[in-house]
Order: sequence, then C-alpha cells, then structure tokens
Amino acid sequence: MIRRPIPTWLFWLLAIGGVAVLLGAYEVVSARQTRINPLQTTIPSFQKLGEGLKQIFQPQGLAENPKPAMFWVDIRATLWRLIIGMGVGVIASIVVGILMGAYRWIEAPLSPVVMFLSKIPPTAMMPIYFAVVGTDQKMFTSMVALGIFFSMTQSIYQAVRQDVSDEAINKAYTLGASEMEIIYEVIWKQILPKIIDSVRMQIGPAMVFLLAAEMVVGSAGLGYQIRMQSRILNMSVVYVYLAILAIVGLIAEWGLATLRRKLCPWYVD
Amino acid sequence: MSEFALEIKSLSHVFGSYRVLDNINLQVVPGQIVAVVGPSGCGKSTLLKAILGTHPPTQGEILTDGMPVRGPNRNVGIVYQNYALYDFMTAEKNVSFGLKLDETSLPMRIFGPRKYFAKRRQHFEKSREFLHQVGLADACGKYPNEMSGGMKQRVAVAQAFIMRPKIVLLDEPFGALDEAMREDLQIMLLRFYQENLIAKREGRRPEYTILMVTHELNEAIYVADRVIGLSRFHTQGENGAAIVYDRPCPVFRPDDPRDFSKFVEQREELRKAVFDETFIKDRDDYVTFWKELGTLANSVAAIKN
Repeated sequence: MIRRPIPTWLFWLLAIGGVAVLLGAYEVVSARQTRINPLQTTIPSFQKLGEGLKQIFQPQGLAENPKPAMFWVDIRATLWRLIIGMGVGVIASIVVGILMGAYRWIEAPLSPVVMFLSKIPPTAMMPIYFAVVGTDQKMFTSMVALGIFFSMTQSIYQAVRQDVSDEAINKAYTLGASEMEIIYEVIWKQILPKIIDSVRMQIGPAMVFLLAAEMVVGSAGLGYQIRMQSRILNMSVVYVYLAILAIVGLIAEWGLATLRRKLCPWYVD
Repeated sequence: MSEFALEIKSLSHVFGSYRVLDNINLQVVPGQIVAVVGPSGCGKSTLLKAILGTHPPTQGEILTDGMPVRGPNRNVGIVYQNYALYDFMTAEKNVSFGLKLDETSLPMRIFGPRKYFAKRRQHFEKSREFLHQVGLADACGKYPNEMSGGMKQRVAVAQAFIMRPKIVLLDEPFGALDEAMREDLQIMLLRFYQENLIAKREGRRPEYTILMVTHELNEAIYVADRVIGLSRFHTQGENGAAIVYDRPCPVFRPDDPRDFSKFVEQREELRKAVFDETFIKDRDDYVTFWKELGTLANSVAAIKN
C-alpha cells in the first residue's frame, strides 16, 4: 500500500542499511579494481582515502617556513567567494524582489527582464564574466551573485504576490501603517521564511557556478583542487573533497532550517 | 465631531459604460449596526470598497465623521471574511498591531528600546483586555494557524475595534464559520450594541459603529438595528443599483431567545423589496428609516442627548 507507515526502528535500520550497502559496494568495486591493477588510483580503497585525507591536512612548504595545508587554502578561498557572492546576490534580490511585489510601476519594467535573464544558465555566461570582469576574486563573487540574483528575485517577487494578500495590506492601512511600515512590518515579516528557504535552494546552484568557474580559471579553491588532483589521477583527494562538499552543503542546509525555525516559529510548510 | 459616523452623498460608480451604483445616499449615526443585503453582483462590495477607500467612487463623496475618505485610513476599520490576520503575529500582537503603528515610530523601535518596550507592554495589556472581551482570554499567545475560524474572526474584530475607528466594515464576516460559531459571534455584536445604548444614554459617543454586508437575511435582521437593501429592481434600475430598502429592525438583547419568527413579516418584506426581480417599485418606497425614527424605542439613533 502506498505510504503505509513503518515502525521507527525499521526506518532507522533501513537508513543505516542504505549507507552500509553504499560503502560495502564501493569497497567491493575498489578491491576488484585493485586486483586487476594493483597500482590503480581511480577507485581507491578506504585505506587510500584515509591517506588522501591525511595529505590534504599536511602543512605545505619547508619546515622552517611552513604554509597552511592545501585543504585550508582551498576551503577558505571557496567559502569566502561563496559567502560574499551569495551575500551580495541575496541582499540585492530581496530589495528588488520586494519592491517589484510592492509597486506595480517597478514590477512592470523589471519583470520581463528578470524573467528573461533568469532563464540563461549562469555557467553558460562564464565567458562573458571572464571578458568583462576578469578572472580574479571579483569575477567569482559577481558570478555567484548574478547567478542567483535573477531566479531569487523571481521567487521573492512571487512570494510577495502570493503570500501577502491585498486584504492584509489594506488592513494595515486602516490600522495606520505608512508605506515603509507596510514593507517592513507586513511584507518583509510575512515572506521571511520564504526568503530563508529560497536562500537554501540557491546554495546548490551557487556551488555549481562557483566550482565550475574555479575548475576553469581558479588558482585555489575546492573546484580548482578537484580538477588538479584528478588530472594526476590522485582520486583519493578528489573523493575526500567531494565528501567535504556534501558536508558543507548539509551544514548550510541545517543552519538555514534552524534559522527559519527560530525566526519564524509560526511558519508551517 | 460630526453628527454622522458615516455619510455618503450622491455616490455613483461606473465601470466602463456599466453603472453599478446610482446615487447612493446614506447617513449612519455613531453606535448603529447597519446590515447591507442585496442580490449577488448588486454592488455591495463596490460600495464597501468605496467606503474603505481602496476603490474611490466615480461620483459623489464619502465622509467619515465629517472627513472625506481619501484612501484606506484610520477612520474606517475592516474585518474580512477570510480574516486576513497576520500569520507571523500571535493573537495578542495581531490585536495590538495598530497601536504599535500608531504610537511608536520606526526610529523609536530601533533606537529607543526602553521607551519602546514600555509602550509595548501597555499595548499588550490593552490587547489582552480586548481579547478577553471577545472571549479569547486563553488564546493570547496563539498564532493564527493554531486557531479555529471563529477564534480568528474574533481576533480580527478585536484588531479592528481596538483602534476606535469611526466605523468598522464587516464584509460577510461569518460566512465561513459553522453555525455554532456564527451564533456566538452574532451575540458578541449584540453585546456591543447594548454597550452602545448605555453609552448613548449616558451622553457618551458610542464606540461600536458597524456596517455589515451579509447574505443571510435572518442574520441581518437579528444582529442589526437597521437594514439596507441594495438592488437594481426599481423603476430606474437600468441606471444602477440603489438603496431600495432602508428600515429599522427589532433590537435583540444578547440573552433574548433567537426567535426568528418575531420578524418573519419583515423578512418577507425585505425579500420582496430587494430580491424579487418582478417587483418593480419606486426606489424610495421602502426607504423610511428616518421617518420611522419617532416610533423606535431602544434604537441608538432614536436616543437624543
């Protein structure tokens, strides 16, 4: 039967089982590959992966002049670009999205533009960024910011149109609100959970744009390192980096979900 | 202060070439509960939106307490059928939202936290008082999505009245509620009316002035002290809907039995005058409220001071 409930213990058992099967199958495939070619690095064993993990935390440079480990250099570069880029993109799209939802004369000229530009895949626009902004830090952040700006503006503007009824706005006027107060006290507070959710939805795409750009032109960062290491077939580092990306994504997701619960206890989805 | 809480002077409304409302004149004194009935599409909500100020009439003037209406403002409160509460505020905060907007400013909310919080404490106290009055003393901390339809509508009523507007518009307020809740809320309005009578007798200005749109004739006659019918079924009907019925109706006390048989005759008269397509009469035949004033005993409008 569809959606028949199962006991909690069984649910957890199956969940753990799923992970166990994934790891077990990996080990089997890896062992087979090693039997065929003992020097293979494409599907490294867990032991080799452990070595990869050690390698990325190894301080670089000479003993008397140590440099930070490769992992710290890469994660710092990537997160910094991601946070600045998303920060700029999110703030800009909140401002534009709310204004579009609040004023018809702003909505009219902007909505066709936003709708058109939001349909261009930001990765396809990469060459334009290279040409116009260059290939430094500015390029990464503007790419992330613009990459999420259009679709996020679109979703915030939709949220204002759908979640804030004319009744709620007219009533606020009858209670003595000014336009500024309606924007802040009614519209912003009503759509805050939707904003947090759409930031959460944009982390994935933002990572895609950023890693793609890093793979093409970076000199540090997770994307750059994944590409470099895979070129020399050092897959034990590549896999560890991929796992780290998953962990970063999970942490961000969990953090934003918690933030939404704390800030908007009234919201039920 | 004007003698009338609401005054509509020769209001007409035209959509393109279609005349919806034709030369509406209406005066409501403070403390009245006026029910507006009429066939669907007769322009009830157009009239309501005009009074609210969101859709100004194409001709004529609307005054609340002598002041012309220019857009939705503090003088006119509104209660919608779908409650339109703010989801992100508890009942208490919803009710005190108007006080916050009225008595604190954005800079004060940001830079004067001590003064601001002291003010807010007063607001919450007042808001709890109002919630108590509408029978929701226990629900102060609840969010709208944790409340039933009846509770939400009570919050919406308290939210409107706490601002002491000159008049509150109820737009099919109980249409979405089940029978028991609807009765409770009707009785709540009757209680407001009794308070109005007391205020009027003591020479104060009554606080609860209501214009209520409803499609339930029984509800209209039971709750209101005056019923107005809007319809196109009169001799100049092609010009748009007009007020074709305006008569007082019996005042019930909250503890009186809900005996609708008391006003069967008036209900039939109302049905015929407002809803019967074949009964074409002069538009003023049943507009007799002000002429009948002398014969009324327990009506707010009849008490002089």
